[in-house]
Amino acid sequence: MPRENYQRRLDALRADVVAMSDLVRERYDAAVEAAATGDETLARAVIEGDEAVNERYLALEDECVELHALQQPVASDLRLVTASFKIITDLERVGDLATNLAAYGTDDAGLHPAIAFRRLAGAAGEMVADAMAAYEAGDTDACRRIDARDDDLDERCRRASEAVVRNLLEADRARSDENRTATNNADDLATALDEVSSALLAVRDIERVGDHAVNIAARTVYMVDNDDELIY
Amino acid sequence: MSNTETGTETEAETERQTSDSLITTDVETGSNGRATASERTAVAARDVDVYYGDEQAIDGVSMEIPEKRVVALIGPSGCGKSTFLRCINRMNDMIDVCRVEGDIEFGGKNVYDGDVDPVALRRKIGMVFQEPNPFPKSIRDNVAYGLKIQKFDGDVDARVEESLKSAALWDEVNDKLDSSGLDLSGGQQQRLCIARAIAPDPEVILMDEPTSALDPIAASKIEDLIDDLAEEYTVIIVTHNMQQAARISDRTAVFLTGGQLVEYDDTTTIFEDPEHDRVEDYITGKFG
Repeated sequence: MPRENYQRRLDALRADVVAMSDLVRERYDAAVEAAATGDETLARAVIEGDEAVNERYLALEDECVELHALQQPVASDLRLVTASFKIITDLERVGDLATNLAAYGTDDAGLHPAIAFRRLAGAAGEMVADAMAAYEAGDTDACRRIDARDDDLDERCRRASEAVVRNLLEADRARSDENRTATNNADDLATALDEVSSALLAVRDIERVGDHAVNIAARTVYMVDNDDELIY
Repeated sequence: MSNTETGTETEAETERQTSDSLITTDVETGSNGRATASERTAVAARDVDVYYGDEQAIDGVSMEIPEKRVVALIGPSGCGKSTFLRCINRMNDMIDVCRVEGDIEFGGKNVYDGDVDPVALRRKIGMVFQEPNPFPKSIRDNVAYGLKIQKFDGDVDARVEESLKSAALWDEVNDKLDSSGLDLSGGQQQRLCIARAIAPDPEVILMDEPTSALDPIAASKIEDLIDDLAEEYTVIIVTHNMQQAARISDRTAVFLTGGQLVEYDDTTTIFEDPEHDRVEDYITGKFG
């Protein structure tokens, strides 16, 4: 086959993007664990480990640029390189969101109990993993299923956010009913607001992880079928 | 068959002009890179077969080339793309063993009809070759050559200037029009040949790998020029450089072995999502 080196580079690109997603997924799972348990050591490891994700991203970005500049890919090759270029950006962002999540659960209690954090975060992580499996296999049907799953994730995130806010309001009402001193009340409220803020930010980030999974699926559909139906 | 003849009368004939009123027909053919309802067809090939003796070089090619567009013909060596190009203005007539079947319609006529004068045809369908081939004459006389042969009764100097401007060469040669065309650089010589081709005001310009002998800068000037030429002329270009085809053409026709036109579509479609696996394999370098 002509251009064997070029073909090998394309194969390597695909494999390296999948490998980057494995690394990101590993960081993400660790971040979820850190946030759920308030394990600060694990959280620090996730945050410090983001550098490795960024390095992998930059190396793959360079490879995509070089393939464009030196090999001028066309047709399915062009779509592979272009889709991969976009997908690594989504993966890098998932890595960033993992560092956010790790930082939210900064005490032993972990995240707010009103959200089913592990299940919610797990659903988003599974979407990323499935999107990358679809990318690796060129499975556009799986991509479309991921897009549909995102609606469900969005709804679950919305309900989780509502539950957190409702919980805050009910706790505030309970504190008022107990006639506690103004100073104690203010301290409790500040603590509660911190918890709520972390919880709401965590839910927002999980929802964004789902969006990145959809982006990966959308770029995969483009890569395989030259179809932009899932993009935007 | 050679496509690198230099300075022959035969080539000069392709660049002359007549005052023939050749009529282009409105053709509505829909999608897949053919002329659309809003386009007029400049050249239409219908079931064209070409044989060199017993060997078939073109196999049943049908395609419509829209007016004032750039159409690139690409494919591996020996696929018949240059043969097809040269059928359009009957340059293959010069090859004794060459036989053409089917129709190539231009100006409402099959160019292979018995009453078509091939010399007159070549005045309306000019040609630019792979190697720049200016005549050993002055720059002015190179451009005016076809005009003099056709006994052009207008302002020859004005037409020379206009042609050199259209070929993006005027600014570089306007103070040395009496110098030999052979003294120009390769890229300038090729633009001179383009000026010579457009001086007789053709409708179609055929280009057979016009930049393959040029350095990248000279080639890029020709590419820019082709883009400008398409505002006035239909350009059909054979190129081995697929990136060039992608850069400059509106439509791309992919010929593969056996002289078959495998796919003809918008250039963007050909290079982003071709329909046929063989075309995909060819343009991505897996075959050919």
